Amino acid sequence: MIKAGQIEKGTALLIKGQPFLCIEREFVNPGKGSAFVRLKLKSPATGQTLSETMKSQDNAEDISIEDRDFQYLYNDGENFSFMNTENYEQIEVPMKSFPDYEYLMKEGESYRVTMWEDQVLDIQIPSKVVYVVTETEDAVRGDTVQGVTKDAVLETGLKIRVPGFIKQGEKVRVNTETKEYIERVNS
Amino acid sequence: MYRAIRSFFDERGYLEVFTPTLSPSLIPEPTIKSFETEFINPFEERMKLYMIPSPEIFMKEMIANGSGSIYQISNCFRNSEQLGDVHNPEFSMLEYYSVGMDEVDSIKLTKELLNAIPSENENLRKPFLVTTMRDIFLEKTKIDLDEVQDEKEIRKAAESLGIHVPGNESWDDTFNRIFINNVECDISKDVPVVITDYPKQIECLAKDYTDRPYKKRWEMYIDGVEVANCYDEETDKGKIKGYYVKEYEKMEKERKGTDDVIPAVDMAFADLEMKKSSGVAIGLDRLLMTSLSLTEIRPLLSFPLSDMLTQDN
Repeated sequence: MIKAGQIEKGTALLIKGQPFLCIEREFVNPGKGSAFVRLKLKSPATGQTLSETMKSQDNAEDISIEDRDFQYLYNDGENFSFMNTENYEQIEVPMKSFPDYEYLMKEGESYRVTMWEDQVLDIQIPSKVVYVVTETEDAVRGDTVQGVTKDAVLETGLKIRVPGFIKQGEKVRVNTETKEYIERVNS
Repeated sequence: MYRAIRSFFDERGYLEVFTPTLSPSLIPEPTIKSFETEFINPFEERMKLYMIPSPEIFMKEMIANGSGSIYQISNCFRNSEQLGDVHNPEFSMLEYYSVGMDEVDSIKLTKELLNAIPSENENLRKPFLVTTMRDIFLEKTKIDLDEVQDEKEIRKAAESLGIHVPGNESWDDTFNRIFINNVECDISKDVPVVITDYPKQIECLAKDYTDRPYKKRWEMYIDGVEVANCYDEETDKGKIKGYYVKEYEKMEKERKGTDDVIPAVDMAFADLEMKKSSGVAIGLDRLLMTSLSLTEIRPLLSFPLSDMLTQDN
């Protein structure tokens, strides 16, 4: 048990028997009132989010979670398959729990996975990742001026806008939260 | 902004006052935790002093002593509030007391003040949306506060909204649970919103209505953030005394055996000849924040406490 005031972003809680991960936390002190926390929680099983308001002094049931490294193998359109790199055990994670992750994760790459018992609560993707540009049109002459962007498809299938000077086969660094181009990576 | 505020009140004949930050006693407020320190008087007994959570105690004494309308910009202190986007334990407060006026006059004055300060946020210039607590509750939750006047009834109402309420919770805590969960988060962010007529179960030094279970108190939200609180100030000595006794007992009961400071109170406060007046308190960091269309106060503070704490680690 912990006090609701101790809950942080990333804290895992058990609510009515279901694991939830705190994704947002805000302290609220109503005028002439006790201290409260407003929480946004996400169920990794369903992707469903839940808003919960608790007094800072209320008890909440926290669960102990553990980070483990898994290699991402592939997806079959419904589940992601991962392999535990230590014991070669494979697990499946419903894709709908992690929308867009199919376009962010690279097959064969290792990811840190947050687990509670046998359940995957979170897959951690670095905030900046380098991807190879697999499809983009060559810039039209004269369009290489700064500020002009064009469509590009990355090795994972992610579609983003890149500057005109980026060529097919080059590497770009991408902000995985906003899915926006950051810079070109040489070599 | 500070200069504009001072000109605004100077032009209207309000006297700027400067009252102490350290006080030997505070107004009993069970929901506000205090910072305590000690005056070491050589060869005499030490004296406990408290950092003020608001200059109210001194400003009201001035009003009672005939100062007329006054205003003050001061640093105030509230302990044990968690460091969030709009909280810092030390913050800047503007308080103004208008003698002879009531809380409705204060809405008009506050509107004029918002028009007079510099702002990049158009919302500050817009007409206020004024609503009673009962109306906004009805709109957002379909609950009629008139009909849930005791603990049992409001608990049932909360549970009907799917809010879990622990046993033997006070009326105002359950009310705040619903307010924060279903009302406050849904307050219009397009115009300043003034919520009037706060439930009488939330004890404070505002006058009661005689015909309904509410108090002559309002709070203002800008961009959904609470920035101001206003009373038609209680002048009845008996009621002020009653508030002091009740709230001190409540505070003592809640804090005994905990680390929380139980600040001294001075019952003589209840004997002041409080004049008919309306007082407004505005969190200036929050007002400045909204005027710049920001959503946190950190960028405005040169030394936010949260940064100083991280440096130590």
